[in-house]
Amino acid sequence: MDEFQEILQDFLVESFELVEKLDEDLVELENTPEDLELLNGIFRVAHTVKGASSFLNFDVLTHLTHHMEDVLNKARHAELILTPDIMDVVLESIDLMKALLNTIRDTSADAGIDVSACVARLDKISGGTGEVETPKPQAAPAVEASSVKPEPIQAEDSGNEPDYENMSDEDVEAEIERLLAERQEQDKAKRQAKIEAGEAVPSAPPAPEEEPASAKSDPEVVTPPPPPPAPKPVVHGSGNDDAPKAAAPAKKAATVEQTIRVDVKRLDHLMNLIGELVLAKNRLIKINDDVEERYEGEEFLEELNQVVSIVSLVTTDLQIAVMKTRMLPIGKVFNKFPRMIRDLSRELNKKIELEISGEETELDKSIVEEIGDPLVHIIRNSCDHGIEQPADRLAKGKEESGTIGLKAYNEGNQIVIQIDDDGKGLDTTMLKDKSLEKGIITEKEADQMSDKEAFTLIFKPGFSTAAQVTNVSGRGVGMDVVKTNIEKLNGIIDIDSEIGVGTSMKLKIPLTLAIIQALLVGVQEETYAIPLASVLETVRISTDEIYTVEGKSVMRLRDEVLSLVHISDIFEVDRIMDGGEYAYVVVLGLGAQKLGLIVDTLVGQEEIVIKSLGEYLKGIEGVAGATIRGDGGVTLIVDVVALMDMARNVKTSAVASASNAAAQITLEKTKASDYIIMIVDDSKTDRTIMRKALEPLGVTLVEASDGQEALNTLKTSDQNFDAMLIDIEMPRMDGYTLAGEIKKYNRYKNLPLIAVTSRTGKSDRMRGVESGMVEYITKPYSADYLSSVVQRNVNLKSEFLS
Amino acid sequence: MSDKLKEIINKQSEQQNPDITDLDNVVQLVGFIIGDEEYAIPILAIQEIIKPFSWTRVPQVPPYVKGVFNMRGSVIPLIDLRVKFGLPEQKHNDETRFIVMKVGDEVAGFVIDRLTMALRIKKEHIGPAPDTINSEDSLIDGVGKEADRIITILKADKLLKRDF
Repeated sequence: MDEFQEILQDFLVESFELVEKLDEDLVELENTPEDLELLNGIFRVAHTVKGASSFLNFDVLTHLTHHMEDVLNKARHAELILTPDIMDVVLESIDLMKALLNTIRDTSADAGIDVSACVARLDKISGGTGEVETPKPQAAPAVEASSVKPEPIQAEDSGNEPDYENMSDEDVEAEIERLLAERQEQDKAKRQAKIEAGEAVPSAPPAPEEEPASAKSDPEVVTPPPPPPAPKPVVHGSGNDDAPKAAAPAKKAATVEQTIRVDVKRLDHLMNLIGELVLAKNRLIKINDDVEERYEGEEFLEELNQVVSIVSLVTTDLQIAVMKTRMLPIGKVFNKFPRMIRDLSRELNKKIELEISGEETELDKSIVEEIGDPLVHIIRNSCDHGIEQPADRLAKGKEESGTIGLKAYNEGNQIVIQIDDDGKGLDTTMLKDKSLEKGIITEKEADQMSDKEAFTLIFKPGFSTAAQVTNVSGRGVGMDVVKTNIEKLNGIIDIDSEIGVGTSMKLKIPLTLAIIQALLVGVQEETYAIPLASVLETVRISTDEIYTVEGKSVMRLRDEVLSLVHISDIFEVDRIMDGGEYAYVVVLGLGAQKLGLIVDTLVGQEEIVIKSLGEYLKGIEGVAGATIRGDGGVTLIVDVVALMDMARNVKTSAVASASNAAAQITLEKTKASDYIIMIVDDSKTDRTIMRKALEPLGVTLVEASDGQEALNTLKTSDQNFDAMLIDIEMPRMDGYTLAGEIKKYNRYKNLPLIAVTSRTGKSDRMRGVESGMVEYITKPYSADYLSSVVQRNVNLKSEFLS
Repeated sequence: MSDKLKEIINKQSEQQNPDITDLDNVVQLVGFIIGDEEYAIPILAIQEIIKPFSWTRVPQVPPYVKGVFNMRGSVIPLIDLRVKFGLPEQKHNDETRFIVMKVGDEVAGFVIDRLTMALRIKKEHIGPAPDTINSEDSLIDGVGKEADRIITILKADKLLKRDF
């Protein structure tokens, strides 16, 4: 049974490939009916499928392909001219064949599909000149029923491929006998030839024995004896008969080995591993940078640098190589369109030509699978709405037959699939009117809409310009599907159209789904990754350049007005730190839509591996997934599509200064210990001295041994500090840096920072002031002095003093 | 020396024996504390227990979902059980742990106050959840009775189920 399954699998894979080819070839054949080679090719395909299916006992499929083959055979021998009507029947039978193959794939049997009607029609066509015509009402076992008819023709005309399936038992016996006889004859002749060759050179057999012997004695004999090589050609001559035989299979084997079928799961797994490797590489690069900073000028650095760059180079190459193994030519998708256009043009009574180019452009397998449906919808749309009726076209002075161009090409890290038609083009006023009628947009929106935006109306769900629902389109679903599918692939759609001239649609799709280039942006202490494909540009603006219009922030970007949204409004980030007077705006573009996203900092560009957030957190609006960064942390990836939608509902003005909102939650002090003062010094002794000096005040004291620790305490503590005593010279983070960091927080804007240091230079004092220190106490100091400075700065109420 | 060793081995096997004989009747759990209560989770639902480390906040989720963290290349949600059980948030300390649970394909990390111990409780010592709790939606699987205390046994699959 397992063996059967295995054979069945092979059969299915092969058949699907063949049938796909068949479709394409037949349409081409219709255009060039005299191309005998093409016809022969098609015939062979039909024949192969028939042969294999009969071997596997798929009677219905055999029956169908057999009759199809009859028709094709007639055509092959010029007994039949392939008119479009005949082609319709042939193509119909191919559709049935596909359906049967699908059924076989799903159920391992070919029952359940009625092919009799199609067979009858095929018979009628072939019956015009064939001698036997028996319309079979049911899918009868093909072998006996149709045994008589095709055999004679084939046996005569295509001697190389006699149709054994349709022979009667006796005929088969006879044929076998004949072939056996033929074979024996050949073998005999071969043996004869061998013997003759052997006799002609009687000295040949001993020669090879002599040769190794002489070779062994080589070390002693300085000059090898010249005679032995002489018989060699003769020896080869005697094997002449076998030589080509042996060579032929070898050659065949070589061509077979060139491709291997690999389970897609294995490739996916490999891709995942590469993803991990890319992350590790990013991490390595980061570590290298850190090390470089710390050990500047050391010799081993160069070596490390080399290794890191080799690793990153190889990783990138590996990634590209694995990506390539997953690539399929887009021709796989394009192939089905000639047939579709043909059917559609007959159905719609239009004349449409399809021009395909760039079908060798390669795309990730998963994208190739996803791209088919959107393209079908776009092309159907172009045929139905774009291309005019032949009469209309002539009236407009265009050629009678319309052209749809389908091309694919690479553009940077993206694949562009372009669908052009020379039809009537999109009428923006008509699009707006229709949308208003269906309540998709409001009057105001319609007025403000640019032409580009109006074009995108065709992607709105429920939108349709067709007056009535036809078989082809008009349900208002198709183009909506296009948009969602393309966006699912992180792709964007660009439409250009001119009335009377035509429409051009560009689908821009990233090469692969798993690894993308991203722009990393920072907001407060968080980092987000924005897919670079949707980033048009970044600009630094001062906060004065942001205007508020109808409760929304906008800015002027060259000659257009760009609406703005702050990333922290979208992702609910608490604004604990002050953004400063400058902001960065990341201009996001999605088709014709543009949006400025305000962020605090631009971190850089990085290659990121997209990871899903899992079942528990899926569907968070605005988050497309997550990635793991070089430092091991998780960074969320922005879903630009959703972001555009969310931005519309964000009302708060983008850079409302948050300074006063969260800050200053000063509680009423009721006793001395409500005052909290932090002492930051790396020396335990110094800390103790300060503690001793301040303890008499009765205030609460918190200690930290360096800047970093102090900052962490500030960030995580829920206490409100009233003053800080900061030493300047400290490991990890010095006093100046600490003061600068603290001042970034709105909450600590007014926290008095008091420097306590042995640095007495004027420049040190200046630096202290610059970094936001309010007092500067030089060591040594008296306890009373320290205490009074602190009292002054925290406004200690006198009643608490004992 | 070898006698002593034998003795120890014998002792150990003696200790283990009762468990082995009625393994079917014993539930193995991992106990932990949240607030003042002791809870337990079936040991088989636990993938690992790790010390806390940094995580990334995720927007638009209930307060008990702290965010996501990176566990050897996988992005895993982090849920604070204190907050989920209606207790005030608490700063992580030396005893805080993340328990990573896995049921089927669902994985998530849970913040707990501290671990207690691995428990073996006989099935007859586990009572049903109090009647007042709707058994369908409840996170509580049952109540285990040990000599001196009561342990609430939680359903791992319910904890891992998204409820927002």
